[in-house]
Amino acid sequence: MTVLGKNIPHDSARGHVSGESVYIDDIPFAKNELVVDFVGSPVAHGKLKKVDIEKAKETPGVVGVFTADDLNGHEIFGPIIQDEVLLVRDTAEFIGHPVVVIAAENRKALKKAKKAIRIEIQELPPVFTIEEAIAKKQFIGETRTIQRGDLEKGFAEAEHTLEGYFYNDGQEHFYLESQAAIAYPGEHDTLTVQSSTQHPSEVQAVIAELLGLQFNQVVVETRRMGGAFGGKECQATHFAVMAALVAHKTKRPARMCLDVDTDMKVTGKRHAFRNTYKIGFTKAGLITAFETQLYSNGGYANDLSTAVMGRAMCHAENAYYLPNVKITGTVCKTNLPPNTAFRGFGGPQGMLNIESIVQDIAQYLQKDAAEIRRLNFYGIDERNVTPYGETFNNNCLPEIYDQLVKDSDYKNRLSQIDQFNQQSKTCLKGIALTPMKFGISFNTKFLNQASALVNIYLDGTVQVSTGATEMGQGVNTKIQQLVADELCIPLAHVRVMTTSTEKNNNTSATAASSASDLNGAATANACKALRERMTTFAARSFEVSEKEILWNESGIGPKGKQKLFSEFVKLAYLGRVNMGERGFYKTPGLSFDWATGTGNPFLYYTTGCAASEVLIDRFTGELKILRSDLLMDIGKSMNPGIDRGQIVGAFVQGMGWLTTEALKYSEKGELLSHSPTTYKIPNAQDLPEIFNVGWIENNENTVNLRGSKAVGEPPLMLAISVWAAVKHALSFVSGNQPVQLDAPATGEEILMRLTELMAKQPVKTR
Amino acid sequence: MRDSILLYINGEAHHIRGEAVFTPLTDYLRYGLQKTGTKVVCAEGDCGACTVLLGRLSGEELSYKPINACIQYVYQLDCTHIVTIEGLKINGLLNPVQESMMTCHGAQCGYCTPGIVVAMCGMFAEKATCNNKQPATRQDIKDTLTGNLCRCTGYDAILEAGTLVKDFPALPTLYPSAGLVAAFKKHQAESVEITAEERVAFVPASIKEATAFKAKHPQASWIAGGTDVSVFCNKRDFEPPVIISLSNIPDIAEIKTEGEYLLVGAKATLTQLEKATRDLYPDFYQMLEYFGAPQIKHAGTLAGNIANGSPIGDTLPFLYVMDAEVALEGVEGSRWVNINNLFLGYRKLDIKPDEMITYVRIPLLKKGETLKLYKVSRRKHLDISTFMAAIRLKRNGDKIEYVNIAYGGVGPVILRLSKAEAFLMKEGFSEEAFQKAGELALLEITPIGDVRGTKDYRLQLAKNILSKFYLDVAEGVPV
Repeated sequence: MTVLGKNIPHDSARGHVSGESVYIDDIPFAKNELVVDFVGSPVAHGKLKKVDIEKAKETPGVVGVFTADDLNGHEIFGPIIQDEVLLVRDTAEFIGHPVVVIAAENRKALKKAKKAIRIEIQELPPVFTIEEAIAKKQFIGETRTIQRGDLEKGFAEAEHTLEGYFYNDGQEHFYLESQAAIAYPGEHDTLTVQSSTQHPSEVQAVIAELLGLQFNQVVVETRRMGGAFGGKECQATHFAVMAALVAHKTKRPARMCLDVDTDMKVTGKRHAFRNTYKIGFTKAGLITAFETQLYSNGGYANDLSTAVMGRAMCHAENAYYLPNVKITGTVCKTNLPPNTAFRGFGGPQGMLNIESIVQDIAQYLQKDAAEIRRLNFYGIDERNVTPYGETFNNNCLPEIYDQLVKDSDYKNRLSQIDQFNQQSKTCLKGIALTPMKFGISFNTKFLNQASALVNIYLDGTVQVSTGATEMGQGVNTKIQQLVADELCIPLAHVRVMTTSTEKNNNTSATAASSASDLNGAATANACKALRERMTTFAARSFEVSEKEILWNESGIGPKGKQKLFSEFVKLAYLGRVNMGERGFYKTPGLSFDWATGTGNPFLYYTTGCAASEVLIDRFTGELKILRSDLLMDIGKSMNPGIDRGQIVGAFVQGMGWLTTEALKYSEKGELLSHSPTTYKIPNAQDLPEIFNVGWIENNENTVNLRGSKAVGEPPLMLAISVWAAVKHALSFVSGNQPVQLDAPATGEEILMRLTELMAKQPVKTR
Repeated sequence: MRDSILLYINGEAHHIRGEAVFTPLTDYLRYGLQKTGTKVVCAEGDCGACTVLLGRLSGEELSYKPINACIQYVYQLDCTHIVTIEGLKINGLLNPVQESMMTCHGAQCGYCTPGIVVAMCGMFAEKATCNNKQPATRQDIKDTLTGNLCRCTGYDAILEAGTLVKDFPALPTLYPSAGLVAAFKKHQAESVEITAEERVAFVPASIKEATAFKAKHPQASWIAGGTDVSVFCNKRDFEPPVIISLSNIPDIAEIKTEGEYLLVGAKATLTQLEKATRDLYPDFYQMLEYFGAPQIKHAGTLAGNIANGSPIGDTLPFLYVMDAEVALEGVEGSRWVNINNLFLGYRKLDIKPDEMITYVRIPLLKKGETLKLYKVSRRKHLDISTFMAAIRLKRNGDKIEYVNIAYGGVGPVILRLSKAEAFLMKEGFSEEAFQKAGELALLEITPIGDVRGTKDYRLQLAKNILSKFYLDVAEGVPV
């Protein structure tokens, strides 16, 4: 009986519910441990004139004050382009850009010392918006293109065209555990760093490079994160390096834990996008040509912006076959913290753009938007190649769509909404059914590799270590299940260990929804090798052929003579069998070439559809989500409870992005919404009143581990249905003119758009 | 006079002196006692990760309520019993809430989980105390967790976990009350004064002691629930040199109807107020539901909302249109002030240095009066308002006998719209009149743009809300 596919609780659940799980700042202070903080630039753009640290140094309790001069290695770093500095030497490029690192015996001294730092800076003109950056031609990297077909021909075939722009704002990750790290100095200038990071190998590398150490002098460990969502893929690094700098210089343990306000102010977010587009379509609504220019707000440095843009471009068509298409993508450089990975990684922005446009087509043609969507879906055997040339296999979207139309009673509700809006003087309703198709694998080929270390001990219990980091998503639980299944042992005999660069080297970030796919496959490979060796030994000791050796919960051996795993392990040890194995996995068949904008970047696609209905107050713009129905294809689930949690959690997070979460900045470029008082993520009361979540049966997905599909990011984009439903509601007062609606659709955005529309024409029903 | 704060934590007595008295409870727990299950995320009462149960004396028992430990400083907690996540296992095993949260996948990253578990345990323990055997509904759990943010789960699994909980014990079965009750009764009668690093905390046992002390230390800060002051301490480097905590004053904790008024003691919590107003002012009751989390409402007070003086204080427009009065007691005696005359400017109140708010009295609604409150915020629940409106109307058919309109969030103080009121009295009850009144309202307000909304948005809301009010109140308008 396998534990795979079972609803096994999260392997940390017992600790979580009792408060016993340990996060960075829960680790008891070491005897001589220091607390670390930094002082950043007071302006968004400026030339550093003078940094006076003398008073701070004299503050009682202060042990060290450090600047760029104290870094012994490289000064610049970055995951793709080397364009970031840890501590400003010349030019500060966003408010809070770190200039000085301070270490003290206690927080009180730290606070005093921070106030004693004097930074003289000559202000330079800052740039904050995409429009300003375009006007000044301030870009990061090159503009890239994906295209196919013949645009001119496509527009000639079109019976109608629409053009315009679309804007979506960014999003704060709002992981509950702010960025945190503790660095412990060791002998021979080594460092062991506890870091709340999705990417221990990157933290290791940047610490070594900036401090002038060898990689093998630095060990980075990640037990767990209190949420991450992409926000700790690159940006956990800076603060871990600061702690490491202090530990390295003072030879004392050093702890750096940000408070939420500082974290929100100085770390990057989901990218805002401002896109222009032109789309051609027939009077039936079939898209014949699509041209779009995507521009993202990258902040001051690249971080992962070019990769995020790449994924946005590979999702700019979402679920639709576009015969003639040209997508360009450009990252704008602005004076904000570098924007970064965030669940979906550009996918949401690419999709939202075209979903907004499809909603416009429907309104222009006075048709049901869901029908326009269905009409333009990728085909099963034809019309199934993406703009970048990958064939969309195992396309379940038409099936999902048809079933969801039925399950959600979409058509009846659409006509009821029509009636409601004709009658109500106080409210408007809207509904939308939107699809989602999300490519799984890192767009960058070399990242698609992973290793796993499986060690069997003499009592038959097992430790497994992979490069995957646990941020709540349950990757460790799935790996635990997988090992138990492969070795036919009880779940409780498998322990997934703290992620450490000492156990697994050169790892990829836990990202792109693929941690279970990659690390799981590496784990399965390790288990297979162990089984082979142990089977060979069993055949020899039982004096039978290898084929006769059974592996099941009764143990190992030929029928009738099986020995329990725990007993067999002892024999194998005495027989000098190697019972530790390092497995490796690389995703087969991937390729992508930006020179041509073509390739097969994804192993497969995770898909789904969602139908959402909303209610809007005509006088205040307040929004209520009445009902959401989600239906996905996630292959064969390894753990339904965990996967359901990913779907619901991602959907609600996406809903927040598109409704209540608003990033507000001062004219100087300082984030004003920097805590939950002013930045409103959904709370329990914001769930749709009726909320149905499910997935179809799909046994056709053979390309991935145990028939499963990645589920971490894709459902976030089902929340586009909520935003599109708002747009649908507003369409009732807009005749056949498309509604210009930004994301997020906050109460303010809704009311102001509604007011504009009402001023153009009084309430019109159709 | 005592020189230490008596605080029980998970059944153990702590006598706290010196600097520790001036730290938030979360610091004392996490860094003082290494009880790190209680998490700090926002340090301002908006996320619930630090939720603990606060047991206070209530007759011969302790009454336990979930509160935000990050904005409860130790000086506020004399003679209380704190139960943290570490103190909620039963005989070393997970309790039914914890079991259910585990099996239902109610935790992902786990950082919000202790707070959520504690808040839910508080709710179930209270049900057990009231002998309420009904299983909790999804809505019950939502209402319990309004103040607990979770970024991973999307809440659904947590709601399910809550609805499956059975047989939770009342807290006194885990922590017998007798010893605690006796200790608190004995200690509460004696006031506490603690000095550390030139800061003073005073916990008086009576109003008289309180006002006398305030007269001597006019710079002292009053603290009841601390839901505003403690946020200033955490976030704005506010270090009040002298603090007077009202927590042990017995007299002013009640709410009762007296003649034509509802009389609200200054220490009465917003939770008490919510209960008391359910039938008397249904719209106000509804607004309190949105106002804040249970954790905030168990600590915060109406008097605190007034004393804070914010132009977006959620209770204020209501108090304005109701012509509520505030009792101020000083060494010389006491006086009643109509709330419409209490505010002199932005966060500036007509209160003398030695005076404290002891009561608020709110006239009861008269027969035939309509009261409507509007609170517009980015998120419906637990969000500071962008705009507030309160409208109290008495009409006779289309004739308006009187109408009081107060707006919040559109000026330095709460504003009464006298022009719009006068216009409506003249024009009567019609859609057109309310539309025009909405335009007149714009002449009486001076909104600014800030993080919660632009000036234009506030102007639009100020204009629209009177039309909305008309449609909400008029007969025969389709929803």
